[in-house]
Amino acid sequence: MRLVATAERPDWRAKAAACGFGFHTIDDAPYWDESAYYAFSLREIENDIEAPSEELHAMALDMVERIVGSEQHMQQLAIPEPYRDWIAQSWRERQPHLYGRMDFAYDGTGPAKLYELNYDTPTSLFEAAFFQWQWLEDQLARGQLPAGSDQFNSIYESLVEAFGTIARGIARPFHFAAVRDSVEDQGTVAYLRDCALQAGIDCGALAIEDIGLSADGRFTDLDDNVIGCLFKLYPLEDLFRESFGQHLPRSGLQLIEPPWKALLSNKGILPLLWDAHRGHPNLLPAAFDDGGELPRGWVRKPLHSREGANIAMHMDDGRELRTDGPYRDGPCIRQACHPLTTFDGHYPLIGSWVVGDRACGIGIREDSSLVTQDSARFVPHAIIVEEARGVLMA
Amino acid sequence: MKRSRTAALLLMSTAPLLLTACDRSESASREGLYTSVEACVAQTNDSNTCQQAFAKAQQDAVATAPRFANREACEASYGKEKCAERNDGASHSFFGPLMTGFFLSQMMSRNGVAANGFNSAPAFRDSGGGWQRPATGAGGVYRGGAGTAMVPVNATPNRAVTVSRSGFGTSGSSRGIGG
Repeated sequence: MRLVATAERPDWRAKAAACGFGFHTIDDAPYWDESAYYAFSLREIENDIEAPSEELHAMALDMVERIVGSEQHMQQLAIPEPYRDWIAQSWRERQPHLYGRMDFAYDGTGPAKLYELNYDTPTSLFEAAFFQWQWLEDQLARGQLPAGSDQFNSIYESLVEAFGTIARGIARPFHFAAVRDSVEDQGTVAYLRDCALQAGIDCGALAIEDIGLSADGRFTDLDDNVIGCLFKLYPLEDLFRESFGQHLPRSGLQLIEPPWKALLSNKGILPLLWDAHRGHPNLLPAAFDDGGELPRGWVRKPLHSREGANIAMHMDDGRELRTDGPYRDGPCIRQACHPLTTFDGHYPLIGSWVVGDRACGIGIREDSSLVTQDSARFVPHAIIVEEARGVLMA
Repeated sequence: MKRSRTAALLLMSTAPLLLTACDRSESASREGLYTSVEACVAQTNDSNTCQQAFAKAQQDAVATAPRFANREACEASYGKEKCAERNDGASHSFFGPLMTGFFLSQMMSRNGVAANGFNSAPAFRDSGGGWQRPATGAGGVYRGGAGTAMVPVNATPNRAVTVSRSGFGTSGSSRGIGG
């Protein structure tokens, strides 16, 4: 794994505009950054990222089975009591799931270490599945990449295939919903909806704020149609907390991601996985936080923190690092500190996409800090044929 | 190759997308949900196919029915005495609902005669009286495994008068949502 500086495509901004990639620059700061790319060998991708992702995904699903049968685990994950049976039922019915993203610390040496599962509302999807793909094709055509270069990225094909597979299991009408004013979230659901349409699924779009409630507790769209299935790019735990949430279990509304994903998008899954698979090369030691002082070598994360918010890090050398955020209260976990490796002052975090149950691609976000936050930039990657390196090193 | 062969956009692209035309033949299909072979024969007048469809559905029912760790959990979803203990052959025992009906679908030619061959699937009735069938397509991007997802059979859209809105989204304005 190397960071390779490269020439940008002169027309990439026009290309971004042509495909609706409106958030390549966020608040005047670059988000899409193609002045460099990460180069991997095929072995690194297949052995160190793809295979562990599929294995961890299977371990996570097995853990759901255990959690739904355990009041104690539900308690540890702070699942509100009124939602527990509903969540368990959604798992027993195997209500269909679509996608998730695992975040890994990986630098080409040693096993990738799982930071967390983003299994409810993962974003950075469009840039990974589409714009990164287009970058590779363009740079191959321009001769900016070695011939035969490839990319670990069949996210698009897997999404269309997944929608096609679950199509008959999706209640209609089917709507995609995100927060109205979030450009990035709206971009993500627009892309997912695009993929659903390509799979032949008729579907609409709706702002989360526009969802209505009928007198008998069913959820409606703006035309008073009862929503059959809702893809919501909105955290399940927030839905639970908000005023309409209490109606979810009896509303008949199907959700994607389904309610059982609340057990995996929760950082409490990390200590449970560690307990069940202690010493697994891709897992970091983790435990539920007792609220005491954070010892050296540990990181504290709230169960529900997103975008690297409210993380406390106490490194082996005694340095401490804290990020701000809205998740000040509520239970936390501890995870062994395993800082990201720096590449020219940047700290890349590997987002490994799992669509259905298939590990099918990565997207890399790098921040200038050890904690990857919403200030991170998306940097493309390529799989480079390694034959020339032996000659160089000889 | 580890990447998609193509990456098309339908809605998001401002450029017109070339869609591959797909010639669909003019055939229609017929599908019924029957609670007995007799009901199936009464509708289709084809006792041979009905019997085969019933037998195949019954065979598939064990593999595709939802799986529960104990009888109580199964009966909570499917009603009292509607569940049976099963075994997957690898000494894992579990509980699943009993098949309460079956689907038969056949392609029909233009003159209204059923073509050779058929598809059938088991149907289950939940404790609320709704019918369910196993979702198709285990394998591929999804792993098969412990039971198949169930699909409600009656998916006709219905309408309801909305009495309030904006009960969701109150956490959204203060921060980014995605991860």
